[in-house]
Amino acid sequence: MTVLTDPQIQTLRAAVDRIIPEDDYPGAWGAGVGEYLGRQMHGNPQFPRDIYRAGLDALDVEAQLQTGEPFCALSAAAQDDLLAQIEIGRVVSSWQVDPAAFFAFLVHYTMEGYYSDPDNGGNQDGIAWKMIGFEVRG
Amino acid sequence: MTQYDVIVIGAGAGGGVVAAVLAEAGKRVLLLERGRAQSFDELGRDHLRNHRLSQHGHSTGPELDGNPRVFVDPAGQERVLQPHEDGYQNNAAAVGGGTRVFGAQAWRFLPQDFQMATTYGVPADSSLADWPIGYDDLAPYYERAEWELGVAGDEGNRAIWPRSRPYPLPPMSPGRQGVVLRQGLASLGWDTRAVPLLINTEGYNNRAACIRCQHCVGFACPTDAKNGTHNTVIPRALATGRCELVTEAMVTLIDTDSAGCVSGVSYVDREGHHHQLQAAAVVCAAGAIETARLLLNSASRMHPRGLGNQHDQVGRHLQGHYYAGAAGLRAEPVFDGQGPGVSTATCEFNHGNREVIGGGMLADDFIVLPIILWKRMLPPDLPRWGQANKTFMRENYRRFLQVMGPVHEIPSPEARVTVDTSVQDRWGLPVARLSGTTHPETVRTAAFMVERAQDWLEASGVTRVWSRKPGLYLSAGQHQAGTCRMGADPRTSVVDTCGRVHGHDNLYVADASVHVTNGGFNPVLTILALAYRTAEQIAHSG
Repeated sequence: MTVLTDPQIQTLRAAVDRIIPEDDYPGAWGAGVGEYLGRQMHGNPQFPRDIYRAGLDALDVEAQLQTGEPFCALSAAAQDDLLAQIEIGRVVSSWQVDPAAFFAFLVHYTMEGYYSDPDNGGNQDGIAWKMIGFEVRG
Repeated sequence: MTQYDVIVIGAGAGGGVVAAVLAEAGKRVLLLERGRAQSFDELGRDHLRNHRLSQHGHSTGPELDGNPRVFVDPAGQERVLQPHEDGYQNNAAAVGGGTRVFGAQAWRFLPQDFQMATTYGVPADSSLADWPIGYDDLAPYYERAEWELGVAGDEGNRAIWPRSRPYPLPPMSPGRQGVVLRQGLASLGWDTRAVPLLINTEGYNNRAACIRCQHCVGFACPTDAKNGTHNTVIPRALATGRCELVTEAMVTLIDTDSAGCVSGVSYVDREGHHHQLQAAAVVCAAGAIETARLLLNSASRMHPRGLGNQHDQVGRHLQGHYYAGAAGLRAEPVFDGQGPGVSTATCEFNHGNREVIGGGMLADDFIVLPIILWKRMLPPDLPRWGQANKTFMRENYRRFLQVMGPVHEIPSPEARVTVDTSVQDRWGLPVARLSGTTHPETVRTAAFMVERAQDWLEASGVTRVWSRKPGLYLSAGQHQAGTCRMGADPRTSVVDTCGRVHGHDNLYVADASVHVTNGGFNPVLTILALAYRTAEQIAHSG
């Protein structure tokens, strides 16, 4: 069974919570995106596990190199700045995966977990649908 | 002594109708379907695995493993794809085929849709052509489909579609978005229509009315109010006692005898056992891609290029629909949760556009699932993540409005299905290889229709409008058509005016493969109507 290390999980949690931050509705992690990603990693044969793990490691290395801190320890603003650089592929450390492709993949999967049906593991109790006003009545 | 009078390959829109008409005419029918009969609960409501968004799979057959196709992109790059991936041009494999999960728009083609070459001329390098039959030939069969399956529509449609009987069901009432968009059409003075739907707006044929749920297109109906072939004509066929339905049956070959005459089919059942069955006639209704593939894979000594393919026509002119549209935001919410969502259309621009060839219908959209809004419909300048993105989703999901519609494609002979002997499916058969693009004139028409969609939204109080510029690509997908073109001349077509394959007495095609062009409308009612017409011909031919 493929699992993430604790540091990978901390980096993941911090990153998805910048992709969908908490306000008066939950951020990505609080709505179950971690659970969604876990199910994808174990249940979807096409899930790019290697890119996923290597990208999380590289994100943390990038943060350490640029700021001296692990990604999860940075302020929200500093995390956003770093992610915005990665989004356009601008990095200083040596990445084993394409940083922009990794980030695009992470954004898509985070949104899938947050906005798709709760049976996929995210959007728990339909919280994202309550937030936007999508109601299932029949 | 043959085992069956008719073997029908594919239990979708066309195959379902053919099976019913022939079984009721006293024929012994075998209906073979590679998918399964699936209940509402089996099909489910997974927002990532359905026939509107097949991100990680889909809800019906074909199964993801063992059913690859080869897709050649416009740059010449070849990729082997699974059924849920972009470019595969998938349609549901299930009892009912695409109608098991469709959006149920029940448009007739317009009289001019059958005469595109006469009306517009033939652009260089295109295969634009007239149909060898016209609207009047199909009108009685459109009507039969409307009554036997059940269509809800507006009598105002009589003005552009001459008809002898009214629709059997009253039109779907518009929700808030429909009301807003009808006001916009009125202010523009544009043609305004209720979208005809294969949906019971009242109880019909002993089934319930639509409950206006939020998961229509891409999903099965919770009250069985959506009229596909799975809950109308196929049950009728089975009720005769003369039609046998075998599911999870993969037809590998249309068999021919030593003289080259069609004698039956070979198929593999769900346990992997091989069967060879004889029939007096064979009807291909597997969809425009799989029908073409089967004819090509059925090559024999007498038919070295495949059945019906002596003039290299099988698989050409593959087409579907470009969708032209625009999206935007209204100050006041328009979302009211009233499914199916689509209710209002304009046929103002199907024909008579001076700058472009043909055109298409525009209509409002089905209820948009939240993840589909995020993946496909956000404004191009919106950040894709972060607080700004979340705030946009939160503030605008209920204010979002989209209109769009199918563009009548200008076909290209180079958009085609061939078979790729280097890639095989789980039965060892060469898979479909899809290559080419639509003709560039389609892109021009699509760009014109995008502008009209923008006009409509702006006239409907939409304050911020965005859209995508269409590019050149291959479209087929759920509206796939054209690969066994109907025509009088065997050198430029595959089937005759009745759907019979040229050069054969007993081999027919009864799906959208036979469409010469695919109209500026959802094609299912035309597929159904043609199937009634072809089935009647088979019944009368003994």
